[in-house]
Amino acid sequence: MNAISYRQVSFSYPDGPTALNEVNLEVIAGEVLLVVGSSGSGKSTLLRAANGLVPHATGGRFGGDVVIFGRSTISHHPRELADVVGFVSQDPEAQLVVDEVEHDIAFVLENLGLSATAMRRRVEETLDALGIAHLRYRAPMTLSGGERQRVAIAGALAAAPSALVLDEPTSQLDPQGAEDVLAAIARLNSDLGTTVLLAEHRLERAAPLADRAVVLSSDGIPTPCAVADALATYPGAPPVTRLGRLLGWDPLPLTVRDARARAAENSLPFATNIETNSRESSRGGQTLVAAESLSVELSGREVLHRVDVSIGAGEVVALLGRNGAGKTTLLRAFAGLNSASHGRVNPTGTVAYVPQDPSTLLFSPTVRREIAETLKLLGRRDAGEVDAWLDRLGISHLAERHPRSLSGGERQRVAIAAVAVGGADVLLLDEPTRGMDALSRTALERAVQEHAAEGGAVVLATHDVELAARCASRVVVLGDGDVIAEGEARIVLAGSLFAPQVLRVMPPFLTVEQVNHELEGV
Amino acid sequence: MSKANIPAGRYQSGRYQSDRPWSAITWVAWALAAAATIQLAPNPVYVVLVIAITWLVVVEHGLDGPYAKAFPILVGAAVFFAVLRIVLIGLTTHGNQDVLFTTPSFTMPEMLGGFTVGGATTAPVLLQAGAEGLVIVGIIAVFAAFNAVVSHYELIQTTPRAFYELGLIVIVALCFVPSTIEAIRDVREADRARTGGQTVRRGRLVRQVIPVLERGLEKAITLAESLDSRGFAHSGATARARGAGWIGLVALIALGSSFTALVARENTVAIVLGGIGVIGILFAIAIASKETGRIRYRPRSLTIADRSCIAICLLAPILIIVLSIAGDNTLTWTPSPVRWPAFDILPALALIALLAPLTRRPITNASAISEFNLSDEDSVLAVGHSDKVALP
Repeated sequence: MNAISYRQVSFSYPDGPTALNEVNLEVIAGEVLLVVGSSGSGKSTLLRAANGLVPHATGGRFGGDVVIFGRSTISHHPRELADVVGFVSQDPEAQLVVDEVEHDIAFVLENLGLSATAMRRRVEETLDALGIAHLRYRAPMTLSGGERQRVAIAGALAAAPSALVLDEPTSQLDPQGAEDVLAAIARLNSDLGTTVLLAEHRLERAAPLADRAVVLSSDGIPTPCAVADALATYPGAPPVTRLGRLLGWDPLPLTVRDARARAAENSLPFATNIETNSRESSRGGQTLVAAESLSVELSGREVLHRVDVSIGAGEVVALLGRNGAGKTTLLRAFAGLNSASHGRVNPTGTVAYVPQDPSTLLFSPTVRREIAETLKLLGRRDAGEVDAWLDRLGISHLAERHPRSLSGGERQRVAIAAVAVGGADVLLLDEPTRGMDALSRTALERAVQEHAAEGGAVVLATHDVELAARCASRVVVLGDGDVIAEGEARIVLAGSLFAPQVLRVMPPFLTVEQVNHELEGV
Repeated sequence: MSKANIPAGRYQSGRYQSDRPWSAITWVAWALAAAATIQLAPNPVYVVLVIAITWLVVVEHGLDGPYAKAFPILVGAAVFFAVLRIVLIGLTTHGNQDVLFTTPSFTMPEMLGGFTVGGATTAPVLLQAGAEGLVIVGIIAVFAAFNAVVSHYELIQTTPRAFYELGLIVIVALCFVPSTIEAIRDVREADRARTGGQTVRRGRLVRQVIPVLERGLEKAITLAESLDSRGFAHSGATARARGAGWIGLVALIALGSSFTALVARENTVAIVLGGIGVIGILFAIAIASKETGRIRYRPRSLTIADRSCIAICLLAPILIIVLSIAGDNTLTWTPSPVRWPAFDILPALALIALLAPLTRRPITNASAISEFNLSDEDSVLAVGHSDKVALP
């Protein structure tokens, strides 16, 4: 039985290009269908069409029909489909309406006019299904990102919809938050038989959940297939899948466990206990900025405690640690935005900071003018520098687009370019890969390494251990305001539960590229 | 934690349990009592005492959210406008007693009011303006404190059901004020960080205003989509609800006409029209509430503690009225001739009644953990650190 049927669906936003082009897609009841595709390929549009937000909330030209459990989205508004489909977007903050978790979950039930006893039962069941009963009296503002997103899913699920549509639900979460949310989705699917339509960039965790995948091409045409087939050529495939692709494993592994089994079955053309030619852990050249016995207090709480970290020329340093460990505070202290309660920050070079939310920076009508604006502010005018950074971050093709019309990952790259073009010696990037697709990540990594190679330094505050593995010459791990580990990425990450996938399958290699390099040397 | 493990010690109201000790209605009563007290005893000493009480209440009961953070901002804005008012009154109101200083003066043309700006500035005028400004600051502080401590959703849950959807829209819209204040701070920092700490004033307004507005708009769109996806306004208006709307409109016209008749001294007509208006509005509300079909989820009812707190809070303005009738001349203050505001212990004791909400404390996350002995895992989650990233 089909849960959702897209029938010849075409759509373009008002004054925009075609986002979906004659899409025919059947989502089978009870399955988890993973939607993958690069930024701007129309994933969000496809998902929003499932409950009628496209075109009812967006306007634009819509052709064809989407039928969800027998109801057409043309004749039914999203609010009239709330009992059959729940929708969760990537920003948990913007979805929660009520100032208490329990009442926020009940919000949809009150809207649908359920009786008091039915509401009570549904809320209790939903709290248990998502494992958030302990949060019922809490204000959403006080929850972590993962908890908020689980509450948002609960709010959509309370109406007992037959289908759940999730648009990158983990893109703003740390690894544990993402793990919690995806585990909850898996449980809903297996226990309640809820049909799940899920778009994700973090395929390491999402791919193993899916029954099928659909790959959206850049012109908005979906190709449904098995998950392994979809990832066989997809650039954003999980590292273990790309490793399997490199080593010719069949079937391709989707999880670390699969990959370990394949590695045990297949003899490798090289030894895995060799010393790799990974980046040296040695400190960079001249120190550009240093925290010397730095303590920072925020709202009366000591967030950083006597931290000593120096950043040298030519270094890419990854700051890791859970939410609240002090990563952003350290970056902001380096940038002069947080003052020290003890010790000091000693900058000998110029320092520029790109915040987590790129939209705090963007105001110009085009990407090109946004980047040129920084030069203008600094009293310089050099179109060549603008073009160089457009090219370096792979956004030349977006130069004349409005920054606000871009996807999250594209915006992030524009914000980085707009700050980096100023020529600061040290670039401080706070969660730079949030919401980025594989191509965006690759472009960012290249730009980061080029900046370091030119004598600058980059500090990345990130939860993305794969990014740290690929980019960082040094890793600093913060825990509760202290530096708890520091050194070469391979050594520091080796003992972690969240080590890069390749390191867990084939130590001491950190990345697929390192394995490839070793293969080429054989 | 399963249902069976819900801590038994939370504040209970019927079947409703909450971390918040007081219901929205209790806070409404507290705010009305505090505002009335300021109006009844505008002596600066007593007004400052009430402002101090509002601050204590926010410190103890402020909810986690943008409204609590907006308390000092709203009070600061009120102080700014009070000072501005003092300056304007000082420049335009003149006397000849206790002259502080004299500035050059000029008289505005007749068509612009013909008043004189500048001239002799006197101490009584400034002090009177200051006292009146302090009353405004006090009223704003009470309003800001009320917003910081009350659950707005619980508040609209206590209104007639017909007002629910409108009330929710207003609350969501108002929430954008404090969140915009936070956005302004973020955007200012980002602007500074963009140039490596170098402050560039030229064009700063555009650079900072556009991201704030666009961010607000994007959030509003996402929220609107979320409301739509979650069935908000699902049922639409029925014929009876539309009828209630028309009755409400006619009732409002009747009330307006009643006011006009009152001005024209047609008292009988005014009373009749006023009666029709009031009855019509109540009737419309009743029909519309019945038509919404909305059943409230676990509505909170007033407990004995709530009723006691309301009664104690209302004691403050009542005692002030009694003292006023008894001839307490410290309740008001006139600075002409110039003198210190008087103080009496009895009105100050009456104001202590406004501290009644402090007799119970909200259950904070940390106290919930120790108080109810949750498991370690729950404790981690309860303090908002569920992200147990195990790194070396």
